[in-house]
Amino acid sequence: MLGVYGVGKTSLVRSFVYSIFDDKYLSTVGVKIDKKLVEIEGQPIEFLLWDIAGEDDHFTVPTSYLRGASGYLMVIDGTRRDTFDRALDLQGRTEKALGPVPFIAVLNKVDLAKEWVLGDEDLAKLNKLNWTYLKTSAKLGAGVEKAFYKLGQKILHP
Amino acid sequence: MTKPPTNSESDKLPDEQEPQDVLEIEELRQLITGPERIEIDQIRERLENPERRIHDLSQILPEAIALRTSQDEKIARAIAPTVEKAIESSIKTNRKVLVDVLFPVMGPAIRKAVTSTIHGMIESFDKTLEYSLSPQGLKWRLEALRTKKPFAEIVLLHTLLYQVEQIFLIHRESSLVIQHVMSKDTKTQDPDLVASMLSAIRDFVQDSFKLDKDESLDTLRMGSDRTIWIEQGAHAFIAAVIRGTPPSDLRVTLREALDAIHLAHGEALEAFDGDPTLLEAARPDLEDCLQSRYRPKQKKTFPLFWVLFGTIIVLIGILSFFSIQGHRRWNHYLEQLKAEPGIQITSGEKRSGLYHVYGFRDPLASDPVDLLKKDKFKPEKFVFHLESYTSTRPQVVLKRIEKILESPETVHLELKDDVLNISGSASHSWIAKMKEALKTVSWISRYDDRNLSDQDERDFDILKGKIEQRFFLFEFRSAEMLAGQEPEFQAFIQDLKSFLNLAKSLGKAVSIDIIGHADSLGTENANLVISQERAEKILSIILKENLDPKNFRTTGVGSRELFREEKTNQDRELNRRVTVRVVNES
Repeated sequence: MLGVYGVGKTSLVRSFVYSIFDDKYLSTVGVKIDKKLVEIEGQPIEFLLWDIAGEDDHFTVPTSYLRGASGYLMVIDGTRRDTFDRALDLQGRTEKALGPVPFIAVLNKVDLAKEWVLGDEDLAKLNKLNWTYLKTSAKLGAGVEKAFYKLGQKILHP
Repeated sequence: MTKPPTNSESDKLPDEQEPQDVLEIEELRQLITGPERIEIDQIRERLENPERRIHDLSQILPEAIALRTSQDEKIARAIAPTVEKAIESSIKTNRKVLVDVLFPVMGPAIRKAVTSTIHGMIESFDKTLEYSLSPQGLKWRLEALRTKKPFAEIVLLHTLLYQVEQIFLIHRESSLVIQHVMSKDTKTQDPDLVASMLSAIRDFVQDSFKLDKDESLDTLRMGSDRTIWIEQGAHAFIAAVIRGTPPSDLRVTLREALDAIHLAHGEALEAFDGDPTLLEAARPDLEDCLQSRYRPKQKKTFPLFWVLFGTIIVLIGILSFFSIQGHRRWNHYLEQLKAEPGIQITSGEKRSGLYHVYGFRDPLASDPVDLLKKDKFKPEKFVFHLESYTSTRPQVVLKRIEKILESPETVHLELKDDVLNISGSASHSWIAKMKEALKTVSWISRYDDRNLSDQDERDFDILKGKIEQRFFLFEFRSAEMLAGQEPEFQAFIQDLKSFLNLAKSLGKAVSIDIIGHADSLGTENANLVISQERAEKILSIILKENLDPKNFRTTGVGSRELFREEKTNQDRELNRRVTVRVVNES
């Protein structure tokens, strides 16, 4: 789970799994790991989700946390434009560290329709970059399962 | 391959054919086999010329060795002795070469081993210090003295108790668990999550402190008795969760297991894609690391042992309490016996459940069995070996005198400073007997009976008084008693009889004067006569009671001793009377 601080990564994970670790790991170690077993196309897939603390001006995602990842969700807050821009940058750095690893862009907080700032040009930009993206709401639980499912599919068929 | 037979065939031909033919055939043969012959000669030369063979072999040897090594271990086995000899010879001829070669390899390894050993020593020194002043430490010091082992060794022996609870073999690249083994009865969270988190923490430490590649986090300590030891390998690392204080050589065990796994499954480790089944074979190596060392006496025996121990202690406590209590009571009893007048105790002992008491006892002393009952002892548990003797203790002497004198309850005897004080009252005869008896008693210096009164003498005086107070009244001018005085007269007779008996027993000679009186109305003579008659009358009644007449005298005094001045008839009636007087003749 990658993305800028406050985009809702932890909320997405929380609505997807039941966690054994406390959220405070995020602020101390900078990562919290959870597990989720899903079945994709009749095949059991075990996700080990590394919920990495959101980037901000003082924290950059350590590349050691990215190492060995099979795929990732790039989470963007649809109500904050800067998270969109920084996601593009973060994706670039991630791909540099990991190589071409499957990922899904998640446009979160779709429940806040009034504050939504991402327009058609932005989506066109993502299409142009050949990103797969979908809208989610961690608050409502909408699209969350689907995001993980899609990522699983992409990992199975790169 | 078909050439040699052709060749041998041609060799035989000259012997069988004509010379002309031979030449032709030879020419033909030259034409047909010429090039092969040259090749054959070349091959023969290669085979027969050692220098050529060496050259050829050197061309293919490295590849041949590499190929065979990948197939089996025969070459390694074959050249091992040669290599050993070579090294030996190299060391003998010029040691410096090998030292220079090995130094970069051995240097860090030796440094690491030394560091680890020193670390272990410091750890044990810490433990030694930690325990040196505690109660536990004192106990161990005693143990060290007893077993003649160094104190530090004893400390280590007691503190190096540990159990390797879990071993994670974790893929370095993906942080996924390759294998996870754990000892029995260990509870764990999801190994995948724990391993990932562990990797994350390692990365976090490495990144945060910018450590070198070979300086990774190798120990995590949780609480006082849980540690995680991490050993780093090329493709995977081992994380061992240990409870207790492991010995430093456990790290060597972990290291060796990790190396063995890398050696055996290096490629599988490198290519690990999350499927643990491919590396099941690594489990035995990991399971070997699940070592533990327990206390010599395991905790399993704990409850039973302590229950037994407690019971024994309580029993010993109860027994010693009763024993001490019993002993104290026994001693108390002996002391009491010793203090008892008329009892001399020489010894006392407890033998086969019975108490034996030895000594002497005056027959008049208290019964030791009564004292037993007072102390709530069971008399059947006691055997008395007490010889009879005569005690001179005042209490016993007094008892003995009381027994001899048969003193009545009214007499009180007291022995003080060898003087017997006799007080109270007793019969005249007892007093006489007592005086007689005391003449023969030797345990007192003298006796004092000034406070002892003679009961009989007192009774004598009382009766005398009673008799002399009596008087009897008579009819006017008559020697007939007034009616209604019979009860008084009977009482008078009883007193009189007692008095006379008492006087006799006291050896007193007494006579009773019966004195008759008259009122003053008649003439003096007439009054003397009537008064005499009245006295005679009383005597006659007395004598009816079988009393000795010698004890009595009668007198008539007329109206000379008037009881009352005569003013009324009642006064005169009181003057017509008979009175009695006791006269001591002796």
